[in-house]
Amino acid sequence: MKRVSYFLLTFCGLAIGAHAQVAKNAVRSSINGIDLVVLKTGVQEVVTIRGSLAAGDSLSPDTNPAIADLAGGMLDKGTTTHDKFAISQMIGDVGANISFHTSESTLDINGRCLRKDLPLVLSLIAEQLRSPAFSPEEFAKLKKQIAGMMQRQMEDTDFRSNDAFVRSVYPIGHPNHSPAVPEFLAGVQKATLDEVKAFHKKYYGPVTLRLVLVGDIDPAIAQSEITKGFAGWTGGEVPPHPAKAGGVDAPRDQTVFMADKTNVSVTWGQATGLRYGDPDALALRIGTAVLGYGFTGRLMANVRDKEGLTYGIYSTVANDTFVDGDWRIGANFAPQLLEKGIESTKRQLTSWYKDGVTDAELAQRKTERAGSYKVGLSTTGGMAGTILTTLNRDLDLTFIDEYPARVNALTKEQVNGAIKKHLDPEKMVLVKAGTVTGAK
Amino acid sequence: MKLLRLLSAFLASVFLLAPAALRAADVPAPKLDGFTYVKTVGAISEYTLDSNGLTMLVLPEHSAPVVTFMVTYRVGSRNEVTGTTGATHLLEHLMFKGSTNFNDKQGNSVKQFLETVGGNYNATTYLDRTNYYAQIGNEHLAGYMAIEADRMRNLWLREDDRRPEMTVVRNEFEIGENDPTQALDKEIFAAAFQAHPYHHSTIGWRSDIEKVPIEKLRAFYDTFYWPDNATVSIIGDFEPAAAAALVKKYYGTYPRAPKPIPQVYTEEPEQSGPRRVIVQRAGELGVVGLSYKSPAGTHPDLPALNVLGNILSAGKTSRFYRSLTDKNLTTSVDASAGYFHDPSLFQIYANLAPGATHDQVEKIIIAEVDRLKKDGVTAAEVATAVGKLVAAEAYKRDGAFAVAGALNEDIAAGDWTLYYSIGDATKKVTAADVQRVANKYLDINQSVTGWFIPIVAAPEPTAPAAK
Repeated sequence: MKRVSYFLLTFCGLAIGAHAQVAKNAVRSSINGIDLVVLKTGVQEVVTIRGSLAAGDSLSPDTNPAIADLAGGMLDKGTTTHDKFAISQMIGDVGANISFHTSESTLDINGRCLRKDLPLVLSLIAEQLRSPAFSPEEFAKLKKQIAGMMQRQMEDTDFRSNDAFVRSVYPIGHPNHSPAVPEFLAGVQKATLDEVKAFHKKYYGPVTLRLVLVGDIDPAIAQSEITKGFAGWTGGEVPPHPAKAGGVDAPRDQTVFMADKTNVSVTWGQATGLRYGDPDALALRIGTAVLGYGFTGRLMANVRDKEGLTYGIYSTVANDTFVDGDWRIGANFAPQLLEKGIESTKRQLTSWYKDGVTDAELAQRKTERAGSYKVGLSTTGGMAGTILTTLNRDLDLTFIDEYPARVNALTKEQVNGAIKKHLDPEKMVLVKAGTVTGAK
Repeated sequence: MKLLRLLSAFLASVFLLAPAALRAADVPAPKLDGFTYVKTVGAISEYTLDSNGLTMLVLPEHSAPVVTFMVTYRVGSRNEVTGTTGATHLLEHLMFKGSTNFNDKQGNSVKQFLETVGGNYNATTYLDRTNYYAQIGNEHLAGYMAIEADRMRNLWLREDDRRPEMTVVRNEFEIGENDPTQALDKEIFAAAFQAHPYHHSTIGWRSDIEKVPIEKLRAFYDTFYWPDNATVSIIGDFEPAAAAALVKKYYGTYPRAPKPIPQVYTEEPEQSGPRRVIVQRAGELGVVGLSYKSPAGTHPDLPALNVLGNILSAGKTSRFYRSLTDKNLTTSVDASAGYFHDPSLFQIYANLAPGATHDQVEKIIIAEVDRLKKDGVTAAEVATAVGKLVAAEAYKRDGAFAVAGALNEDIAAGDWTLYYSIGDATKKVTAADVQRVANKYLDINQSVTGWFIPIVAAPEPTAPAAK
């Protein structure tokens, strides 16, 4: 299900991993078609697992947008060998975690365990991916659980604002376009188990599976366990490359009214037409960081620090891992400060767009990125996530090692040129979600 | 900056020791000039700066060329009184507005420095402590420590900064109020604690946030921000002697607090019956919260309560999952013991599924609690819970930043060695211990039950649109 806390992105930047020479130290292999990367780090005992499979929401059939989610949701509801309680007991007994999450383009796999328990955890991941039980009773329960979780999300102003935004800037059929919640819930209601099984049969297989293991781990043992767990598994389908987002005839100024909310969430931006690895994409990201990364970015420095209009405001480039993504500002405002906050934000956006970034700002971002490259080396989760994202961006692992140099090579002209070329404030969509004065 | 009231977190200590930790206690801690050695537990050594009583914890770990530096002040919202609720947190925000030697005007403020060197940094305020921290390349330790030390005693604290920052903090308050569970949690704490300052949340009451005068913030700063009320923790790739020399250089210039640090002496009177609160506002689905009085973080019963919480709510084999979530009555349930300096709450929060009623879910929770109190738990349940908790502690060791976060809560609870000792104690918890603490603490007469009742909004109007 779609639920991304974009606010966190403000302070994360690129989470670079734990070794200065990732490409050199990582062991990459293809096992039965599975793209496997294993990296041993200095951490003791802990192993983190990240994976992805092309079985995301956007691959649901046109007739029902909920099928991919339901398929992913059935993975932890028991297999043909073990019921869900037995699996939970096995995982729990060793304090491991395994979870699956369906996002726009992929089924995401997350796991964590102690080194000694890796064989068990990998075998369970394989079993859950390969042979879910598809019990009718569990399917009925899952439908109700998803309905409940979606209904609860409807209380969240951030969710509502982001949800309206992606439906406004991406056309129907684009992987980043979400169905409206009522449409999604209707899909959940009418879905049949046969539809879910058919989806699983079509998309679940080694062809698109990527697995990354990082931590206190012997690559040979990992390869051996993966070989055992996934032997004989076939299938999976590489999704077609979708067309880039074209123009959307959505209102430029939208309000999602929610009663009794003390804070209004704002999302403001547009589709960029850029995927992460495209020329200009890195320049646009660095320029975007000048506007809205951290406390020294222009948005926080002015809208928050000088004017006191918001607790948090940021700008970021998002959703561009698999396909062309979007550019957005996210912010929170009290209802009574909303218009003032938007005006202040607009001043910063206009000035940034019109005059571009300065030499000093670019220089600061370069050193900041170089430093965060080093600092970000600390966790297995951050490292595994970075490797997986790099693979999903169709980039080589050397990209991680070369990242600081690539940033350092950017010129002011490239950055400002990318901003001008790929953004247009006049075409951006502004969404406000909350108790907006005068909207009801 | 971040405000935390973690509803579900067991913010306890790390107890699966890294190899470095296993051998560290056997290796004599180095003598450090100007410091008195106190003790070594696991891989962590404690020293006191002789000139002013500052506590220093060092944990060298050389797997990556980064270091985390953190200062923890032993002041939190428990130190506030009527009229100054939220002051600790507002002060934390104002700590980023500049000090005598490091500020925006000079281009070397804490945020300018850390965002230029790519540091990962923040500050948090909670019931018992305030902390400021950064993870940085080890070559930047001196630069960051100089700034951090300067703002310990040379903070500007200007009214011109308070005014705009007040609205920032008020917006943080408003964001929290947007969340039904957070709103309910504030009401539950307020009902549970009538005398003790855990009564109010760390963010404070709205009117106090808006109106607290700068003079009171100054007085607060001048009361609590002293070296003998602080602990600095250094974790990662550094040499203790060199780091200690920096601590001595930057913090050694300050004297001890001129007056004794005021201690909270208010104790919550015995509760004499169950209490209830209701929060009603627009929303989609209800929440039921049951909170029972529980002991302080240093109390020996805490490990058994942690195991109890795990048995009740962790994973699909837990009792609440089977009795509630698996029956489509809740979307999730969480049960956990507070980990604080003073007695707090063992809290159960159940998020209702569509169609479930508050009464129905509350009765099932109470029935499960009563069943556990009467029949106890199995040895297998305890073994599973302990296994999960032990592994969870190992995961908290994944990076110096995570270690600092856990250590911070141990310092706040009153004893940093809990970082290791809670783990040992958890491993010794028996089924009998769990049943005993359930009967001792899950007493309905010592509880507050809270309901969030959503008022379902009328159909939403069509959004006004302007192209």
